[in-house]
Amino acid sequence: MTKLDVERVVSKIDRPAEYRRPLALLAVLCGCIAIYLLPAWLGGSTAMYGLFVMIAILAVMALGVDLVLSYLGEVSLGHTIFWAIGGYAAAILSTTWNVNGWVTATAAIALSLMAAALLGLATLRAREFVFSLVTYAAAVVIAEITFNTDALGGSDGIVGIPALRLPLGFAVFTGRSSADLWPVAFALLLLSLLFVARFRRSRLGTEALMVQMNTPLATSSGLDAHRVRFLVFVVSAPITALAGWLYAYQRAYVGPDMFDMYFLTMMLTSIILVGKRILLASTIGVTLLLIQQNYLSIGGDGNKIVLGGVLVLMLVLWPQGLARLLGDIFTMIVRAVSGRWSRVRTSEAASGKRLRNGE
Amino acid sequence: MNFSQQAINGLVIGSGYACVALGWTILLGAARLVNFAHGQMYMLAAFICWFILTRAGVSYPVAAVASIVAMALLGVVMQLTMNRLVMTQNLTSLMIVTLGFGYILQGSAGLLFGGAPHTMTTGLAQKQIRIGEVWFTQQDILILVVTLVLYAVIWLLLKRTRQGSIIRSVAEDPKLAQLFGIDSRAVYVGVFVLEAVLVAISAVLVAPRTPILTSMGFEEVITTFVVVVLGGIGNVAGALIVGMALGVFTAFFGALVSPAYTTAAIFAVMLAFLIVRPGGLNTR
Repeated sequence: MTKLDVERVVSKIDRPAEYRRPLALLAVLCGCIAIYLLPAWLGGSTAMYGLFVMIAILAVMALGVDLVLSYLGEVSLGHTIFWAIGGYAAAILSTTWNVNGWVTATAAIALSLMAAALLGLATLRAREFVFSLVTYAAAVVIAEITFNTDALGGSDGIVGIPALRLPLGFAVFTGRSSADLWPVAFALLLLSLLFVARFRRSRLGTEALMVQMNTPLATSSGLDAHRVRFLVFVVSAPITALAGWLYAYQRAYVGPDMFDMYFLTMMLTSIILVGKRILLASTIGVTLLLIQQNYLSIGGDGNKIVLGGVLVLMLVLWPQGLARLLGDIFTMIVRAVSGRWSRVRTSEAASGKRLRNGE
Repeated sequence: MNFSQQAINGLVIGSGYACVALGWTILLGAARLVNFAHGQMYMLAAFICWFILTRAGVSYPVAAVASIVAMALLGVVMQLTMNRLVMTQNLTSLMIVTLGFGYILQGSAGLLFGGAPHTMTTGLAQKQIRIGEVWFTQQDILILVVTLVLYAVIWLLLKRTRQGSIIRSVAEDPKLAQLFGIDSRAVYVGVFVLEAVLVAISAVLVAPRTPILTSMGFEEVITTFVVVVLGGIGNVAGALIVGMALGVFTAFFGALVSPAYTTAAIFAVMLAFLIVRPGGLNTR
């Protein structure tokens, strides 16, 4: 398989511009409607809706990390902060002043932007592991502060979050159960995906890729690498915060467990599992992982071993993720069927090996 | 507040910090490796020691040695798993892999030892020494002495021996070192085992001071990060100085302000430091 073939396979997933064609657009639309109706078709039980809402929430949460990982090449371990900011903003504002969902969502976005700006400034010059260390340390410290501050509910967290209320002008949406919240969760997931798709075609997205791939060249082309890195980090925060915002309404409770390693590992594993810089990576990754945790669960601690194990094995065996692996297999099958397999086998094996080595 | 008592507490806490951070300092400085599973390895070593102490009824030194050997074996397994990533110096992937390892260790410890807190009792921790108004335990002295000895040994190993220069050459360029007949893979395994052994030593020494929990790795590692970053990446002497200083800071901050927010205060110190001196105590 030549490099060009690989790019052709990957670009199908990688380039939303292809979806501009009306037929493709129609297919995407039908796909969206099908997925929206899927929990009802699968029985429509409370547990089924709960699973779908959770998939949407965690996928949006991971999208924020995906932006930093895929476009800056940095591992942010501090996104649980934004996740918790979203949850706590919804919890505190709705329990204290009983304001509607728009207000709490706006507060979640504003607060997460501020937190990201502060953390971004502090880590502006830090690269690679220092960046990860500082973001990780920030998350642990804020978890400790939350745990010890009574105004934030302390170790007990905040209970009794009212149902999500979203005045729409002509009507008021009120949602308490997972089945009620599914339209909101689905809309949030779609909007976040559209936002990221738009981001990758935006000026900032292109600049970020340039900085990641060749910082000296980007700088000599007149780009301010620090500015680009700062902006991407700040832009990624509200995505994760909005996921936390919906999570608070779904559980009707927030607590310091929002800083749990589980969410951090989930964000990273879902992306690594499918592959970096793939729009639907976090959605597919979270779906696979949550299906394991819901239907093939081997207990809380066992699931931790599975989640960590998937992360380690993927990076060690297929660092490019499942999407690339399936792409390779798909191309091989196509080749085999079209009868050219025997002639290209030798070069195939060689290029396949090179690919897996990340060249 | 008793000033001299807090100063002694600070030194004891600080030597604990420095001891826990030593393995990481070497790993990072001598091999350019990061290990986010450090905190969970600390937790696991403490639990293995506690388990052997309570179930097998052996003495503290025997349990400690058994725990250290177990961690060394774990170190070999971990390093062999990530060997290819290490050889290609894929730092981003390595970081995430060690994070995954940490989560696996936490899950395994939960399965094996349960979620309840335990205390590891050693004879030395109960033997108090009182000089005037100041008191401390024999365990405290043991931590301080072992930490100083370990730092001296590691410093000599890296700077004065042939093995030390081999480790440093591999850190500079693993492929080039191989051209000179050095088995980089073996060196990496060796360095990682050293990290595992050092973290196990620190765990069996320091863990008896506080209750142990299978979820403690997440927070335990934070002071290590601060020590390593502020000491200057891989600067052994810097890590010792920063570790001790942070210990004294923790003791006085806890006594004067609030013990609940010490980690936050340490982190604030680190942020201020990073903005003023991004390279930590490194002079290069």
